[in-house]
Amino acid sequence: MSALAPKFKLSEFIKSLLDNAFWMVLLVSLIGLPIIQIILFYIEMPVIDGELLTPFLAMTWLADPTRTLPIVKAFMATDMFRVMAFPGFGFAALIAAATIFVERKMLAKLQLRVGPFYCGKIEGILQLMGDGLKLISKEIIIPAKADKPIFWAAPVIFVATAAAFVALIPVAPGWVVADVDLGLLGVFAVIGFFPIITILSAWSANSKFPFIGGIRALFQMVSFEIPLILSLLGVVILTGTLNLSEIAASQSSFPWIIFLPVGAIVFFITMLAELERIPFDLPEAESEIVAGWLTEFSGMMYGLVQLGTYLKLYAFAGLFVVLFLGGWNGPMVVPPFPEELLTGVEMGPLTVGPFPGLPLFDQEMLNGTLWFVLKTVGVIFFILLPRGVFPRIRIDMLLSLGWTKLIGLAFVNIFIALGLLYAGVLGPGGLQ
Amino acid sequence: MADAAFLALTVITIGSAIAALELRSLIYGSIALMGTLGGIAGFFFLLDAPFVALFQLAVYVGSIAVLILFTVMLVKRELIFKKVEDKRRKFAGIGLMMVVMVGLGAVFLDSGIKTITTDEPPVDFRDIGTDFVTYYWPALILMGLILAGSVTGALVLAKREDVENDQRTN
Repeated sequence: MSALAPKFKLSEFIKSLLDNAFWMVLLVSLIGLPIIQIILFYIEMPVIDGELLTPFLAMTWLADPTRTLPIVKAFMATDMFRVMAFPGFGFAALIAAATIFVERKMLAKLQLRVGPFYCGKIEGILQLMGDGLKLISKEIIIPAKADKPIFWAAPVIFVATAAAFVALIPVAPGWVVADVDLGLLGVFAVIGFFPIITILSAWSANSKFPFIGGIRALFQMVSFEIPLILSLLGVVILTGTLNLSEIAASQSSFPWIIFLPVGAIVFFITMLAELERIPFDLPEAESEIVAGWLTEFSGMMYGLVQLGTYLKLYAFAGLFVVLFLGGWNGPMVVPPFPEELLTGVEMGPLTVGPFPGLPLFDQEMLNGTLWFVLKTVGVIFFILLPRGVFPRIRIDMLLSLGWTKLIGLAFVNIFIALGLLYAGVLGPGGLQ
Repeated sequence: MADAAFLALTVITIGSAIAALELRSLIYGSIALMGTLGGIAGFFFLLDAPFVALFQLAVYVGSIAVLILFTVMLVKRELIFKKVEDKRRKFAGIGLMMVVMVGLGAVFLDSGIKTITTDEPPVDFRDIGTDFVTYYWPALILMGLILAGSVTGALVLAKREDVENDQRTN
């Protein structure tokens, strides 16, 4: 007999599980499958092997592994795949989740603790999943006098804004959700929304700790936005474009951090401040104001804000890589696709293949993604590292750092870029 | 498609402008103001001027609206505003707005704007830059001087240690 559920009976538990399974099967077959068929009729289906893919063909082909590949490949060319899976939300959320786990484990090792240890036997590898399940199953508590519409909407809008930021980051040549001509300006516009969401959610909780945290966050984000924007102008001056893909492609021979180290340092520091990481974590200072502007969030609302924060972290790290570290550029290390898979492999008397639809990704894209992810992970590591080492700084020091030192350094960076351009080192007639 | 987007943007912009004036809650009013400013950014997108649109978003929604929101939150509105419920004033205001809008609309329609047809590609921001360093260079230099002056002023204000120390002792 458990103390938590004194009337627990195994037979009733199993019966409830079976009930759930029964209803799920019934609902899927009666409602789900017809809906899928109806939706499939309205989606523009691709032409494969000179044959228009109808929903019926799709359902049959999915059962045949050799014919599934072309369908998968056609799906990967759609916008939906880009938004949901690869350079978009799914990929970023995966990296964000990995970051959370690595952060906890690495900080513990830095401070001679063990960190997550028991969940999942091997070094607490399932801790994240456990935390996710806990957050989903917890009750969402809204403070009685909170402003409910804003309080409910804030976490969702926070994640949406972070996802919009992620959508602008190019991962590999041609692999970006929104290839905007003015991508960098788009980034500035999206970053401008974070303080609004923070202060609104802080105000709507109608509690003093979130409000103090929210005001601190607003001060910090608004004052560090200016050096952030100024520090990136050097790259724009040297490349002459605001498109992030073109900026990444312009660094095929050398990354801009070689010529603009000042800008890179200023951007890195402002990035830490925008992300509210230690040593700039005043908005969430847990030893002073409980959890800052996150205090009143509970359950999955807190989970959403956390997801948004780490998506933002990935996006900032990706932006740093794209602007200063050369984006996807790097030596070709991915081997070329084996030719025999295209023609068919002879295995004794049998010939396996050819597999239509292969290769799913070209070599360039795989290589670009590999280098981008490696560099991004490196930058994320350096963002996490100060948390194990530095204390929090005072708010007046923070503001004077943002308003005086960093803005001055950002202007120095712009003059370095102009000097390089006018001296003919870079730009037309120079190195590039 | 463009017509539908235009209509939606018009509804959002004008609707949230009215809401910004009429809502009793100042916070919701400033959120509605953000809607108006964002709607104007949408109009710029529709007019193939993404450069202006993104600056509208970054500056007006990202900074000005934050400033207003911040001010509103730190102020108790009962202390400044007395509740004036006057039906006649309200209708006079609406009437005045209608007169102004009809007048402006008449001017616009009369100005030959209907005869303009254009299929030109959007203006490249590089062209704007080229114009600034060639034809409009005095304006550019003036703006640069003003900006440099204001940035220097901001830096000096931020570095005023004496005031800060005085405040700390109080």
